[in-house]
Amino acid sequence: MFFHQILLLVIHKFRGERSSTAPFYLLKGKKSGQTIQDVTYFNLHSFFSLYSKLSMEEYKDEISTLLANEYIKSNESTILLTEKGLHQIKSMRKPMYNGWIYRGNEHIFFSRLELVVQTLSYFQASENKFVPNQKDQTVHQFVRTYLIENDFKKPGFVVSLKQQIMDLIGSSSFEDIHRELFVYRLSGYDKSGLTWEQLARYYNKSVLDVKLLFIECLHIALHTINAEKHPDLYILTKDIEVVTPLTESAMKTNLLFEKGYSIEEIAQMRSLKKNTIEDHVIEIVSANRHFPIYPFISNDQLNRVLQISHEFQTKKLKVIRDHVPDLSFFQIRIALTKGET
Amino acid sequence: MDRLTEVLQQKFGYSAFRDGQKEIIEQVIAGKDVIAILPTGMGKSLLFQLPAYLVEGTVVIVSPLLSLMQDQVEQLKIMGEKRVVAINSFLSFEEKEFVLRNLSTFKFIFTSPEMLQNERFNRMLSTIQIAYIVADEAHCISQWGFDFRPDYLRISSWLKSFKETNVLALTATATKKVVSDIKSTLHMKEPYEFIHSIDRPSIAYEVKELENQQEKVQWIIGRITTTNGPGILYTQSRKKSEFYAEELRNRGIRVAFYHAKMEQDDRILIQQQFQQGKLDWVCATNAFGMGIHKDNIRQIIHDHIPTSIASYVQEVGRAARDGNQSLASLVYTSSDVEQAYYVAMQDFPEDADIQLFYRSESTEIQLPETTTRILSYWKEVLSEQETIDLFRNIKQKKWLEIQSLFSLFQNDLCIREQLLNNFDEYLEKRPSNCCNVCSFDIRDVLEQRNQTEVEKQQLNWVYRLNELLH
Repeated sequence: MFFHQILLLVIHKFRGERSSTAPFYLLKGKKSGQTIQDVTYFNLHSFFSLYSKLSMEEYKDEISTLLANEYIKSNESTILLTEKGLHQIKSMRKPMYNGWIYRGNEHIFFSRLELVVQTLSYFQASENKFVPNQKDQTVHQFVRTYLIENDFKKPGFVVSLKQQIMDLIGSSSFEDIHRELFVYRLSGYDKSGLTWEQLARYYNKSVLDVKLLFIECLHIALHTINAEKHPDLYILTKDIEVVTPLTESAMKTNLLFEKGYSIEEIAQMRSLKKNTIEDHVIEIVSANRHFPIYPFISNDQLNRVLQISHEFQTKKLKVIRDHVPDLSFFQIRIALTKGET
Repeated sequence: MDRLTEVLQQKFGYSAFRDGQKEIIEQVIAGKDVIAILPTGMGKSLLFQLPAYLVEGTVVIVSPLLSLMQDQVEQLKIMGEKRVVAINSFLSFEEKEFVLRNLSTFKFIFTSPEMLQNERFNRMLSTIQIAYIVADEAHCISQWGFDFRPDYLRISSWLKSFKETNVLALTATATKKVVSDIKSTLHMKEPYEFIHSIDRPSIAYEVKELENQQEKVQWIIGRITTTNGPGILYTQSRKKSEFYAEELRNRGIRVAFYHAKMEQDDRILIQQQFQQGKLDWVCATNAFGMGIHKDNIRQIIHDHIPTSIASYVQEVGRAARDGNQSLASLVYTSSDVEQAYYVAMQDFPEDADIQLFYRSESTEIQLPETTTRILSYWKEVLSEQETIDLFRNIKQKKWLEIQSLFSLFQNDLCIREQLLNNFDEYLEKRPSNCCNVCSFDIRDVLEQRNQTEVEKQQLNWVYRLNELLH
């Protein structure tokens, strides 16, 4: 159900202007010009890259269920909400995601915490040799340094960390299911965590729903952790937030722009298509509102596009272009992106 | 006390060697080539770990199974050995660089067959002192082994650069044919051979032919709900493993399913829950078993015919590590033998696949990952027709192998004796509970299940957090 509601909300935000696969690429966090630009156009930051493991099969199943229940309908090549669907999202609580800035890194935070808790739990049982559940060597390295630097054997460390976890997930931003998922995905001495399937059965929900609730829980946690109240948890959040939300390729393009090269020159230098570089521009514009767009579009042209978009309540490039045939699709995209930042 | 026993106690915490271990270790230290065949759980790892502390240089272990490699690295680390590393495709570029530059600082280097063709790796290896080389899971070298990995054959030419270094080949199961393949591939001249009997006297065998699938399901559910665990139910498909887990759970059994499609995190959790005694049964595909350290498994049940005698022996062998009486049961219907053949053939390419593979770029054809790996190897060394003939031959062999397992279950001869004969062994002493063909009393072998219904656990996060950290 939870995934259904998220999907309905996303489809609602696309305002019937995108195909049925657009929500899929958004949730998977596809780093293409189209998806990144849509994030800005339709203000979908919180849902971007929410669940990169989503499979097309899984997704199509959910979409057909929504269609069959008449929460959504398709119209030519796009999908949109029905009255029933609209009613459905009005009755739901607002999901508290922030996919744009965490992008799956929330799991790294949890892996670190998981290994810290497992280590402490085993040490308490006087077992200082154990097989870590967490196999990622970079997480091992991080936690090793963390434990040594924080002198984890000093009296009071464990109690204080536990208090910080209690205080964090005890906060009113969490629901009980969040708190339980958070704690029961941890493992310790003689206390192994529960699998997704076991948790899903307990709550009588689907595995996907439980995973999405867990991700929501981590996003709330990362948002709530603060350096004064949760100092030992705060250190575990190091480098979890994406600083420059640009793809690596767009970053390279950005550097070349800073050196003063044009789109054509950059395309040639990087042996990429002009279209790709234009996608990068859109990405850069949506990430950095100080990026100068005057080489691509004039202020006057920009305002015209925004006015038409507003007047006809649309972000469809074709519709807009019919009214400004002198502008390219690329220019219209820039204008629409700029209009939202 | 001699030096070997001293190291055994100090480093490994055991008081005495098990059957054959000491002799093998002495041969390794003396620089001899060694082939050791020991059932899993009989202290195979010790054979290559212990000598390392008595000779100079680094031990290089070639292992074709990545998950096993991971497990062995972890076991060494648990012992406090930090100078251990696994070099395989899981390492990032930076990690690999770091490791290669510091190769001589490691005492144990685990590596996969594919790394053996990495020039840089080999160049760095040639600069360090190698104590001896270990070929783990050596049966995978032979195409007659049940888990043949053609890329493992690369070890043959690779070893030519280490002519002076002795080799230790380890495996749990090998027929004479496999042993002779191992010897020639690893260029062993007069190796010291140690073959531990594959017989497990504390495991009794029970095989039953049933009419149809429903009878099988009834039989299995009846058995599991009335007798004691812990146990593993091996099924042929992921779907079946989930089906049985569901049916059994509904009848109050503490059970979970396990298969390769689950996330790694969850697979680890199921293993742990089983090891900690939080689960009594695991319904699993053959993906379950490696790296399970649990001594008191009392029952292994198969609802199908495995694809070879060796894999059957290996799966059954997970029971009774503690030496207490256990039971291996297998139920089948007459159509299961074809099903087994079908499953066994899944990874083998058809003639047409091979032709296509030879005549086009390998990236253009969609084949299972293992098939692609196998064919890429043969494409380097054989012609198209030779490869086609080879696979026809292998398939034929496979069919015979499944047939022989099937007839072993069907005829009126002792199951234990036949299993042993297959590995060129003969039964020396028949245990009082042998198999359902010769002698066997179910009341001796199994206990009644304690009818403790599992109450539904109520999750409580504060309580749980206090259990984890206090």
